[in-house]
Amino acid sequence: MEDVIKVEHLSKSYGNLKAVDDFSFSVKRGKVFGLLGANGAGKSTTIDCVLGTKKADSGVVSVLGMNPTTNRKELFGQVGVQFQETHYQENIKVGELCEVTASLYKKPVDYKSLLKKFGVADKINTHVKELSCGQKQRLFIVLALIPSPQVVFLDELTTGLDARARRDVWQILSKLKANGLTILLTSHYMDEVEILCDEICILKMGKSVFYGTVPEAISKSPHDKFEDAYLWYTDEEVTQNEVI
Amino acid sequence: MKSYRTILKTELKLSLRGMDMLIFAVIMPIIVLVVLGIIYGIKPAFEGASYTFIQQSFGALASIAICAGGVMGLPLVVSDYRSKQILKRFKVTPISPVTILIVEVTIYFLYALISLLTLLAVAVLFFGFKMQGSILQFILGWILVMVSMFSIGMMVGGIAKNSKIAGILASVLYFPMLIFSGATVPYEIMPKAMQNVVDILPLTQGIKILKSATLGLPMDNVLLSILAMVAIALICSFVAIRLFKWE
Repeated sequence: MEDVIKVEHLSKSYGNLKAVDDFSFSVKRGKVFGLLGANGAGKSTTIDCVLGTKKADSGVVSVLGMNPTTNRKELFGQVGVQFQETHYQENIKVGELCEVTASLYKKPVDYKSLLKKFGVADKINTHVKELSCGQKQRLFIVLALIPSPQVVFLDELTTGLDARARRDVWQILSKLKANGLTILLTSHYMDEVEILCDEICILKMGKSVFYGTVPEAISKSPHDKFEDAYLWYTDEEVTQNEVI
Repeated sequence: MKSYRTILKTELKLSLRGMDMLIFAVIMPIIVLVVLGIIYGIKPAFEGASYTFIQQSFGALASIAICAGGVMGLPLVVSDYRSKQILKRFKVTPISPVTILIVEVTIYFLYALISLLTLLAVAVLFFGFKMQGSILQFILGWILVMVSMFSIGMMVGGIAKNSKIAGILASVLYFPMLIFSGATVPYEIMPKAMQNVVDILPLTQGIKILKSATLGLPMDNVLLSILAMVAIALICSFVAIRLFKWE
């Protein structure tokens, strides 16, 4: 199966700090890939470098077989992105934000039907800032889907949501996956990673410390719960204590 | 083009919803015009002058909106959209983030144009205003002043570290120019020593050009002002383009 996202030997430093260090991974079509790690582990920097919003120091990135910097215009007609803490103009309404987003693409999906599908159609004349967290996140998924993308990047989509809203988002993502969409996401919630992700990569200080499936991550650790395994991979002290 | 139109429509709505530009760029110049009109009426600018006080002030009043949009509106919106990652979001779409900057410039251009037209209408209807100089010269001067002031704003908005710093810089530029450049308080009523000091403000020079054009005075007298405006436009645009921070 073809690689929709392919990253080889990506490195990026800020001054002396190595934010991402020789990181390689690939995501196949129709798969959900989870990028995990503590805050500051390099997740957002990786996404920035993959999307070309930051320039990598070295390494090769291709998305849908294209270079995100040189083929920007063509590539981003087919990619949906939701940045961490997505912001919007102060007084903009839901409908206006969707209309502007749709105007950026050649063949956008009808945003009204998307809003309906995600249960926020009645909010079209509401100011975005007045939406609840859950409604906002659903709106941001709608925005990421307006280009009718082949691949979407979702950075911490569910952070700040309550349990109910998170479940709703999972359902939505599962459906999108079933429809063949390729998804790269970052998350701090291991329950959702376990349910959604086909493959994961755990980053620690810019380096990949685990790359594989969730069951593999568990079996290669001394734990039998994924969250414990995740902490084992990311937390130095726990490891040392257990060795002792 | 479709994106530009849709973004322009939405950003215009957002700007009008905010009200501040409507007040500072359109309503305030009219108020200053009416106040000056009531105080000085249609009296000559000075004894034996061939033009009225209002004619002398028209160019200055027309620059208020340019100043408000250029050094207040533009820096604030540019730094705000950067800190809100709106510019970054445009980078991951097929459309260049430059588009939204062009939209903002268009919006402040429109405010300046509406202000110019409403000032003209009020001045003609109530204060017997007549353009004595060349309309073409006035329009060229008006555009030059706008390009120059907007490039200052783009530079400040583009390189300010965050919205707060942009806001401080905008205030430092806007209020002195609004009050001391002759835009609101007429340059002519300032003492000579004060005139010498305020000559340093870019807008003071811009207003001299507009005044000359309105009154049909020889443009040679404002050659230095024109050169200053062109220099500011070139330098600030260069800095803005070279050092613009997208995020």
